[in-house]
Amino acid sequence: MKRDAIDRLLQLAFLEGTIGTRGAYETSAARKPVEIRASESSRVRLQERLASALGGAIAPQDVPLTVGLFLKGVRSEGALQPQDVVSRLGLSQNIYRMLEHDRISPLKISAEIWKMFRRLFNLPVDEFVEMVRRTHQLVFFRPSFRTTLARYDARKQKGMKASALEQAAVELYTKAQLSLPPEEESKLDALLRSISQDS
Amino acid sequence: MTRVSHPRASPARPEKVGAIQGPGVSNRQVVQELKEANRLGCVHLVELYQNRLLGEAVNVFHVPPADADEIVSDTLLAVVTEIQSFEFKRSDGDFHFWVMTILRNRIRDFVRHRALTEGLMTSFQEAALEEEELYSPAEREVVGSIVRQYEESLRTDDEAFAHDGGDTHRKTGRGSSRKLQVIADTLELMETWERVLLRCRALDVPYDEISTYTGKPVKQLKVYHARVKKKFIRLLAKYYPELAANTEIGHVAHSGRVEP
Repeated sequence: MKRDAIDRLLQLAFLEGTIGTRGAYETSAARKPVEIRASESSRVRLQERLASALGGAIAPQDVPLTVGLFLKGVRSEGALQPQDVVSRLGLSQNIYRMLEHDRISPLKISAEIWKMFRRLFNLPVDEFVEMVRRTHQLVFFRPSFRTTLARYDARKQKGMKASALEQAAVELYTKAQLSLPPEEESKLDALLRSISQDS
Repeated sequence: MTRVSHPRASPARPEKVGAIQGPGVSNRQVVQELKEANRLGCVHLVELYQNRLLGEAVNVFHVPPADADEIVSDTLLAVVTEIQSFEFKRSDGDFHFWVMTILRNRIRDFVRHRALTEGLMTSFQEAALEEEELYSPAEREVVGSIVRQYEESLRTDDEAFAHDGGDTHRKTGRGSSRKLQVIADTLELMETWERVLLRCRALDVPYDEISTYTGKPVKQLKVYHARVKKKFIRLLAKYYPELAANTEIGHVAHSGRVEP
């Protein structure tokens, strides 16, 4: 549409917030048919840029407690299928399953794979390092939890109780400050330092 | 007296106000996905808004396509990074209004930058020349004077910012807005339907939508638009007596009414 100097002046006042349309302009913009189409490459580039920013925008409280919980979240959202993660990180199916159930120590997986993991999901370094640390604590302390569970063996509906306790234990172990033996702590620190260097 | 309805309070499709005609994804879904850091949210956000915002920047505000592309990217990037602060308060359209506000601010920053570097007069003169028969040299001089004052106030703000290292950062732009206050004051002197017509047409709001807000037939709005503009520039000239004194503007500025 052709516009003259008066229109441009009014536009300038609108942009500077001196005058408004009480939502008429915004409403009209939503109803208009799309007349300009960005190129496919521009669209893809923008999506990637936004996805990258979205990773950095994750609030700390939104980062799952453990790697397993995170991977389950990815699966349920449908953002990436397990086979995609497996192929992109070069993991075996078996290792992936153990990761998703927090059944394998992060120490058993190389720092390079963890770096690729962080980059794949655009996770903030600090939050990711904490997630790996909590996962290791959970895996390390789980055997001692099993002995506690054993005491409930004789009770009724033990399956249900065990399941409830398992969930409680996951929360307990991942939120608690648990001191690892010095040797374990040292190995974990070395891994986490290596992951952090990727930033 | 003509009744003018509040655009937002329009009874037509209240829940649909600001609802985008897009690929079957609602604003609420996009917001939820982005808040959950789901990458699909980025895909849907781009599908819903990239082309639409590009169209607004290029067609309505005359931003060059390459710059418009950058402005739209920055707008959607701001949406993603600030998504946690957004909340729906009224309807699904809240998100659209929020995105449009960010776009408006980005385009304003672009225009300010252009005013400081190459100046706005060139584009204003080009626009004025298109309508050479409609406006006299003196009327165009009034427009030019406002634009020059706006540019000057931007330069003053910019220099103040450079001088005190940011203390006035939040105030930057206030001076430039004040320089444009004369436009709002002039509009206040006009009838309500005239104000709505001028403001909405400058932003490419279709005549049929303006008709629902003003209660005036579309045909009448089309016929009167040029005359209402002419009335506006005459009223505006009252604020610049030194420019109007030696021209015909001074003689006609006192007749405020638009004759059919």
